[in-house]
Amino acid sequence: MLDIGHPAPAIPGLDLGKDPTLVVFFETDCPTCRLAVPYLNKLAVGARVIGISQDGDAATEEFTKQLATAFPVQRDPGFALSRGFDLKFVPSLFLLGADGRVLRSHFGFDKPVLNEIAAQMRCTPVADEFDGAPRSKPGCMSRHLEPQVEGEFAPAIGAPRGAPASVIEIPDGEDPLEYCFRTFGDGLPVIPPTAERIARMLSGAPVDRTEVIARVPPCYGEATVEKIAANAVMAGCVPDMMRVLLPLVRAVCDERFNVHGVQATTHFAAPLVIINGPIRNELGFAYRQNVFSNVARANSTLGRALQLILLNIGGARPDGIDMSALGNPGKFSYCIAEHEEANPWEPFHAEGGFAPEQSAVTLFAGEAPHGVSEHTARTPQQVLKSISYALATVWTYRLCLGSEAVVILCPEHARTIHRAGWSKQQAREFLFENTGVPVRAYENAPDAEGTQLVSRYKEVLIDGERCYQKFRAQEAIRIVVAGGTAGKFSAVIGSWAAGPRGSEMVTYPI
Amino acid sequence: MPTRLINPMNETPVRAAAPPARLGSLKGKTVGLLDISKTGGSVFLDRLERLLLERFQVAKVVRTMKPTFAKPAPPGIIEQLRAVDAVVEALAD
Repeated sequence: MLDIGHPAPAIPGLDLGKDPTLVVFFETDCPTCRLAVPYLNKLAVGARVIGISQDGDAATEEFTKQLATAFPVQRDPGFALSRGFDLKFVPSLFLLGADGRVLRSHFGFDKPVLNEIAAQMRCTPVADEFDGAPRSKPGCMSRHLEPQVEGEFAPAIGAPRGAPASVIEIPDGEDPLEYCFRTFGDGLPVIPPTAERIARMLSGAPVDRTEVIARVPPCYGEATVEKIAANAVMAGCVPDMMRVLLPLVRAVCDERFNVHGVQATTHFAAPLVIINGPIRNELGFAYRQNVFSNVARANSTLGRALQLILLNIGGARPDGIDMSALGNPGKFSYCIAEHEEANPWEPFHAEGGFAPEQSAVTLFAGEAPHGVSEHTARTPQQVLKSISYALATVWTYRLCLGSEAVVILCPEHARTIHRAGWSKQQAREFLFENTGVPVRAYENAPDAEGTQLVSRYKEVLIDGERCYQKFRAQEAIRIVVAGGTAGKFSAVIGSWAAGPRGSEMVTYPI
Repeated sequence: MPTRLINPMNETPVRAAAPPARLGSLKGKTVGLLDISKTGGSVFLDRLERLLLERFQVAKVVRTMKPTFAKPAPPGIIEQLRAVDAVVEALAD
């Protein structure tokens, strides 16, 4: 790739100004490119960023819409620019000076490098060290070096293909329902995945049925589109649900989420699915009363389909590799949508850089919800204080810094907090600063879980009492508004081991 | 007519690896001890190391630790253990 001092080829329509310009090459199906976009968006606020897509019009348009790119993007027909910049990988970043020479070049995602580039462009840092994204991530091979796509512009062409699924014949004397119940199920009857039903389900997924969407840990089974469809049929999904299931399977297999660990741990964790955006109403996801329970086909079947995929393709069976000591009722289905209409602040996925009108799916490795009733408090402080007492107990009371939590704020609590003029960020800061474990709780408990680690904890004063701060940073607490508009019941959901050493929350566009 | 179902299970071919031949004796061998980084692992492995060296005349013990118990061992750790004659992995909490 072009290095410092090399003259860069002219980019059509681009006049280099006196300030440096950052040129970024990307592929629309490259996870690392997708990871980089929110940071480039931040950079584009104060500096000039130009995106070059190696893919076709439709894929590029979908990419820029889904990720709400805040910088101009153009295509690279015939890969002339990719060749001119001598690309090997994407994303590739070239910082160009006013004279058209390369001031700096880099490939892949790297937070320190992004911050150094921001400094060179006289911008504030764009990548926080602990924002949930990895410090660095390698990218993909440049599209023009994939021999089979020379001169073509369809990202799916490069997608891996799996073997077609085998056909199982159920003899006439056997009840197909009983056979499926016994062989593929989650302890409940499933709908037999007949060829006809699979064909109908596949009508909701305009991709080749043998395309491999991901390899599902811990057994790394290939999740082809038709195997995903087969499990969707068994779970009772409508064909349109494939729009959500394909990005959901990609998300659950994202290395940051670490489903390998989530599925094999002895802990209670199960992947909690959170749906945002217009898809909620398009497919009928419930977000009002009973959001965690048996209220809507969309929630029940999407959550169940994910679990069946993890069981049947991923291989983490509850009587085998899945070693959870107590399990989690969410392993039947654990899917909610945000009650955006009752959320007085920006929707949850917008915090991750998505446009509110972009649908998105988020995954969190969570325990079962722990309810917090607070019917008499009238101020944000009092409501949040009640929630902070539940937050202090996640994982186990005395262990600090190791876990994260999702706070499900019911609409009435959200309204009380908002009515006093508080932002969501203020609520989060209050929860962070007020959640702690009193130092006295560690006295006379030298062997208790969490006591051995007190040297790493930060001591703070909460209401005049010496406490250890429960969470490592305010980012460890996420706020989602969901539930019915009557009843002042919120909930706290603790995480499995959090962060890069465990599981990180991921959000994918739909 | 029989009902025809599309197999929803994992059918990805798995390449079976033949297990190495069992060691006749530990005497003079190099043994790797892999700590998965759970709290009690080192207690167990410290004791095991002493036993291997004193009672079983193991020539050398190679100690290594995964950065996190929550994920598979990274390639560097596997490489480190490739040269040893046997490995004990400790899962103690």
